[in-house]
Formats: sequence, structure tokens, C-alpha cells
Amino acid sequence: MKRLQIGIENTKLANGLHVVVAPDSAAPVVTVGIYYKIGFRLEPQGRSGFAHLFEHMMFQGSENAPKMQHIKLVNSSGGVLNGSTSYDVTNYYEAVPSNALERVLWLEADRMRALKVDDENLKNQRDVVKEEVRVNVMNQPYGGFPWLDMPPVAFRNWANAHNFYGDFADLDAADLTDVQAFFKTYYVPNNAVLLMLGDVKADEGIALAKKYFADIPAGAPPPFADPSEPEQKEERRGHVEEKFGTLPAIAIGYVMPPRRTTDWCAMALLDQALHGGRAGRMHRELVLEKQIAVDAGGGIDDLFGYNGPTQMTTRVMHKPEYSSEATLEAFDAVIREIRENGISADELEQLKVKWRSDYFATLEGGRGGYMPKFGLMHLLACFTLFDNEPQLVNTILDGFIAVTREEIQAAAKKYLRNEKRAIVFRTPVKANAKEAA
Amino acid sequence: MATSAVEVAVGVPALSSERAVTWPKRTRARLSNGLEVILAEAHSIPKFHGELFFRSGNAAVAGRAPGLAEMTATVVRTGTAKRASRQIEEDLRRIGADLSSGAGADTSAISFAGLSEFAEPLLGLVNELAREASFPNGEFERERRQKLEEVKLERTQPGFLASERLRKVLFGAHPYGQVSPSEEQVAAYKREDLQTVYREFYTPENGILLLVGDFDSNEMLKSAEKVFGNWAGKKPDSKPSAAPANPRGRRVYLVHVPGAVQTQILAGCHAITRKHPDWVKLGLTNSLYGGAFNSRLVMNIREDKGYTYSPRSGVSAMRQHGYFSVSAAVRNDVVAASLTEIFYEMDKLRSVPVPEPELADAQNYLSGVFSIGLATQDGLLSQLSTVALNELPDDYLETYRQRVRALTPQDLLATARKYLDSANMQIVVVGDRAQIGEQAALFGEVEIYDGQGARLS
Repeated sequence: MKRLQIGIENTKLANGLHVVVAPDSAAPVVTVGIYYKIGFRLEPQGRSGFAHLFEHMMFQGSENAPKMQHIKLVNSSGGVLNGSTSYDVTNYYEAVPSNALERVLWLEADRMRALKVDDENLKNQRDVVKEEVRVNVMNQPYGGFPWLDMPPVAFRNWANAHNFYGDFADLDAADLTDVQAFFKTYYVPNNAVLLMLGDVKADEGIALAKKYFADIPAGAPPPFADPSEPEQKEERRGHVEEKFGTLPAIAIGYVMPPRRTTDWCAMALLDQALHGGRAGRMHRELVLEKQIAVDAGGGIDDLFGYNGPTQMTTRVMHKPEYSSEATLEAFDAVIREIRENGISADELEQLKVKWRSDYFATLEGGRGGYMPKFGLMHLLACFTLFDNEPQLVNTILDGFIAVTREEIQAAAKKYLRNEKRAIVFRTPVKANAKEAA
Repeated sequence: MATSAVEVAVGVPALSSERAVTWPKRTRARLSNGLEVILAEAHSIPKFHGELFFRSGNAAVAGRAPGLAEMTATVVRTGTAKRASRQIEEDLRRIGADLSSGAGADTSAISFAGLSEFAEPLLGLVNELAREASFPNGEFERERRQKLEEVKLERTQPGFLASERLRKVLFGAHPYGQVSPSEEQVAAYKREDLQTVYREFYTPENGILLLVGDFDSNEMLKSAEKVFGNWAGKKPDSKPSAAPANPRGRRVYLVHVPGAVQTQILAGCHAITRKHPDWVKLGLTNSLYGGAFNSRLVMNIREDKGYTYSPRSGVSAMRQHGYFSVSAAVRNDVVAASLTEIFYEMDKLRSVPVPEPELADAQNYLSGVFSIGLATQDGLLSQLSTVALNELPDDYLETYRQRVRALTPQDLLATARKYLDSANMQIVVVGDRAQIGEQAALFGEVEIYDGQGARLS
């Protein structure tokens, strides 16, 4: 079995900032990322959507790089940039020709040191975010299904159950005081990791990190609300109207085991068995063989990137001539089969080869070919912030390759239970889209 | 921006000297059966990516049925003389591979990626799909039903409705004018029609095999010869369709979606193909206008005015024709305001030369981003595909940056005047007519359609 050994250097500056460098001089390109350990899960109550709105504000100006300058300086260096907010982390990243590395570090340090934004910036980005929500959720068929539909049904702790994109009233209520308080609390060097991947030498990268970041003062250790859930003991169901689409859709989510346990590795392979493309049992049974559904897929959302309660979720869009109960029964038959009979040695071997292949692709993986090593960056960041162990990228695969048939079946029996799941029915309000306009 | 004086950053580190961009050597061969093979090594991960292209797509058979090449490609992966659908999927998983098949306007393709250690079995399966697809009747019926649901779903997506209408307006009866089949057309697909398309299109003389990844090119070429060498087949006859009329004068096409909480704007005009000598000029002009985050349009209607999250402009090139377009999903009450800015920025580029520093920034952007494709196997593959399919010169990748950097403000002014054809833009707005009808009418005569494509007024 071919392995991949990625050279990694990491250190921690006196102010608590983690620094990770993964040199690779194959192309004259470097990817830079900063991850802050705060996502939408632990944003302030009464301020749903704030972590994401705040992410937008980080592009609105800092002490020495006023509004527009951040984007302009990266683009005009021949690079691309973006940021994203997820459950437990928020990231900012750039891919640039390697001669722009110092410039990018300067920009990231400047906005870590002092965000400089005003009411006009906030109003502007609040408007932009509302259009983002409209284009992705409110004006799209199946928008937000199931990532926004599932949490309020599945979870009881506000941290896990609220609207992560934000209720518009909450977005409207956010003011500059909130922005600066959030920045001061969570955007401190001791709550972040800086990553450099690609065309940079390890010692050079670490020296540059010190040059630009060492004088940023550490903050108080950020407070984190407890995201844990009361134990789930009953199946939960919820209903959401589908305004545009004509097919009924169902999402079924099962509670996931804690990270980096044997059960977690087994669930990842179970996920591959159930949702691994057209060979996956869900697609095979529901779409190809029984032909109840036109689409059946899903999985664990960001296996390496969550740090609190989450689920493995199946999404099924089924033909209108089948009832949702009949569809659910067909789904249940797939779950029953794997719980009762486990999987064969041959299937397990296939799953592991595919898993390894997918893992390599994740590490190299760009975003549309334009953000090289995005996946490696993401894993290094999460293993640093959650585990303080970036080297896990080189060893984590072993745990998955070691999973046995017995462990798979045991995990299926323990986790794929009705009392551990939540179901969302997304039901079209119109039976036929061909209504008169 | 109108709101404040331009502020600059203070203390920005200068760029250090640039490392040379070296594109990997390409190994090219033409097998005795006519199949063109292009290989490039990229050792970032122990995998490889490939595409088997055929130079014929939906446009070539639009006269028989729209989307027929796409449907053919979809069914190709569902069975061969040797393997049933389930076997194909499990065999792919067994070697850690992903595979998809599809067709665009001008090409059909089998795309794949897998572990280098299993390169030969993967090529073997691709070969089998390209030569021995059996079009099982049950699979055909199932895929046709799924396609039916897919075309219904498309009609609920504002982005689809906008692009469908724009393509109809720009290309009329030309095959490029139809982006997707109707439900009735899908229902009328016949298995035999797919098999005919398959026999005509999927031949070595019509094909290009591209492979990029962690392998030795000489060894890989030998494998390709071994696997594909004894395949035979001619290039299909093809005759280009009559050129579409270029619509003159601004007109507005409103696709009415009752209750829409946002309006999708898409405006476009005829432009050029990838082979056209002005391609790089138009690419740079587009990048300044709305093709980059730092572009004028994004700064204006997103970062200054907050009308939209997702403004964008681009040049879409098919083999025979291309078009320039600009899009934004905006708040319902700022449709007219957004269109005003869209045209303002276009007209400004058409009348005032771009300041040198802004030009330099855009040149750096375009040449830098071009090279980022080097760093991943699929990024490199996509660059090589573009060169091969458009029959661009061999040194296209190597000379692209210098051609971008040689352009002047006068070149861009001339390019904008030629291709950002503001006076003849065809404007599509997808939204609720009660909320946006009056705003839309400010920009030209309005035709109104429903989501099914029927003219309402």
C-alpha cells in the first residue's frame, strides 16, 4: 500500500499562535491560511448568523489596510482569497505566487492585530449577507436542505440547534459593539493557527511568522459555552415546506460518535458503505434497484473539522408516487441489513482502498483547482486547534485501515438506531410546478 | 468609489522576485488508430487524473433531439458487454477510482481519477465503456426517468431559467440556443438513438486521451497503447450549423417567478471563441470588469452598494461561437439600480482608458491565477484540456503570461468597445413581474415568459 508522508514543521509563538509549515516546492505557489477556533456553533445567543457576518467584516478593513485593500492586494499579487465559517472554526485563506508570501502574512497579521471597520461597512456587509442567504437558501429549490433544516429538529442545545446563517432580525440587531467584542474575544493569536503550504522552506516560514505575528499581544483565553447535548432517547421528526421543487425530500441524521475513537473510524467506513457514490448501498438500493428515489446520498459533513455534536445524514429525493413512509421503509431496510449482517470482507477491502484514495485527493484538493492543498490546510488546522497534533495528517489513515468487520457491525448496531436519529421531511407545497404563472 | 476618497494600504511589503513558472513537459502521441494521447507528470499525490474526450457533443445531434449526447454519456457507464452496472461501480471502488461521463455542447467525455497503482485496470474499464457499452434497457429507462425529474427541477432554479433564456435569445435556432431538453423531448428519447450516437461519436479518430499524474510518461504511454491500441473507428461527419443572427438593440426578457424574494439578472452579447486572436485581450478586459473579486463591478455593486452577494462576468466559449455575460442575484427593489451600474461600468471601460496601475494589477492577477493551476493534478489537466480541445498552439501555456503582460490601456479600450457591446446587450431578469416589471421596462422593450418557457406577453 502506497503511503504519503508529508513533511511538517510546527511551533507555537510566545503569544500562543500556532504555526504550521508544510513545504513543497513543486510549483511556485504558496497557500496561506489562518484558522480561528470559533465557528457558528458558539456564536452569541440572540446573534444567530453573527460568526458568518463577522467573517465578512474581516475583509472590510484593518489598521493599515483599509476597506478594499485586502482583496486588491491579494488579487494584484496574482492570487485568490476567500474565507468560510463552519461549525467550530472560521478560516481565511489565500493562494498566491510564492513571491507574495510576505505580503499575505503582513495582511493577515494586520487584521489579526486590529480590525478597523465602521457602521457603513457593517450595513454594507449585512446587505450582502442577506443576498447570500436569499441566493443560497430562500430563492433556491431545496435551499438549506438539510444543513439548516436539521439542527432545530435534531438538537436541544441552542449552540447546535439554531439558524447558522442567521435570522434577519438577529442580523439587523448586530452592531459595531458586537463586532469589536467578538473580535477581541475570539480573534486572538492564542486562539488561532497560521498555516503555510507549498513553496516555502520550513525555517523561512517560521521566521516570517515571527516577524509579522510575534508582537500581536495574546488575549485572555476565550470562553467557550458547553455545546454538549442531553442524551437522545427518542426519534425526532420535523417538517419543512419546499416552495419551489416538486419532489418530496427526506433527510435522516444519526448522532455521530466522539472524534478519534474506534467507533468514529468505523462510522467513517460505514458512511463510505452507505453513501460512497453509486456503489454506496443507499444509491444502489433506493435509486438503482428499487428505483423509489431519484437521488440518495449524504454522509458525515466535514469528518475532520467538527468539534461538537454532529450527525451522519442521508438525503433522499423520492418519486412522488411513493409515500414518504414507503420511502423511509426502504431506507430502513438498508440500515437493517447492515446492522444485522454487517459487511463482507470483500466490501470492506473495497471501502478501504476507496477511502485511502479519497484521503489523498482531500490532501491535494483544491477548490475548483484554484486553492491547492486546501484539504491539507484544513486537516492541519483542525488537528492543531482540536488536538494540538498536526502530524496526525500522516497517521490518521492508519485508524481507518485497521477497522475490522466486527467493529463496523458493532458501530452500526450502536449508532444506527431509531432513538438516535432525527428525520426532516421537506414537502413540496405544489404538487406540480406547471401551474399557471 | 463614490463614497470616499481612495485609501491605500500603508507599509505593504513589496513582492520578492518571482520564481520561474515551468509547465511540465507534455508527451504527445497519436496511436495508429488515430487516438491522440497527451500525458504530463505531476507527482503531488500517488494518483492520476484522466479524460477521454470525443470531439462531438449535444450540438452535433441537436437536430435529432436536444441533450441526446448527454443522455448517451449518462447511459454509457451503466453496463458493458462484460459488466453489469453494479459490477462497474464496485470495480471502480475496488481500485479507489472515481468516474463520470457527460457531454457538453461540443464534446462527450469520460472523466476519471484513481490510484496510480491501479492505472491499468482503470484504463481498461474506461476502454470498455468507450467501446463496449451495452445500453441495458432497464438502465436506460431508469436514467430517462431521472433525467425527467432533473429537467423539472432545473425549471425551479433561477440561474437555470436565466441562462436558458439568454442562450435562446443569443443563438436562436442554432444548437447553442437550447441548453436543455424539455420533458416531452426526454420522454421521446429512444435507446436505439443513443446507440447510434455512441457508434458515431465514440471512436479513436474522434478522441483525445489526456492523462496527468503520478506516473512515468513512457510507461503510461505503453499502457495506453496496450489498452486502446486495437480500437478502430472513423471520425463522424460533421457540418457546422448556420451562424446565428446577432441580436441588435437592448431588449429585456423577464422570466416570471411568482413570489421570488430576489431577482436573478443575466445580460449578454455575442463574443468570440478560444481560438480568436483577441481571446487574451478579452480575458483581461473581463477580469477588470467583473471577472475577479477586485474587479470594478464587484467593488461597485457588492462592496460599495450591497445590492448582491454574487456579481460576476465571464466569457463563455463554445467551439463555433462565444458570448460575454454578466450576472448578479439582487434585491428586488434594486434591479434597475443594479442594471444602471452594470451598464455604467461597461460604458466606462468603453470610453476611458484603464489607468496603468489598475491595468498592472489586473495583469498580475490573471497571470498569477493562471499558474496556480500548476499545483494540482486536476488543475493541470483542465489547462491541458483547454489547449487540446481548442487546438491552441503548443506553447500556449508557456506564452500566456507574457501575452497578458504585453497589453496596453489602448488594447483594452479597443477590446471593450468591440466586445462589451453595451448597446446590444440582451437582458434577462428572473423574478416576480409585479415587483420588477416596471424597473425592467426602463432598459428596453420587455417580453415576459413563464418558468416553462411560454410567452406571457
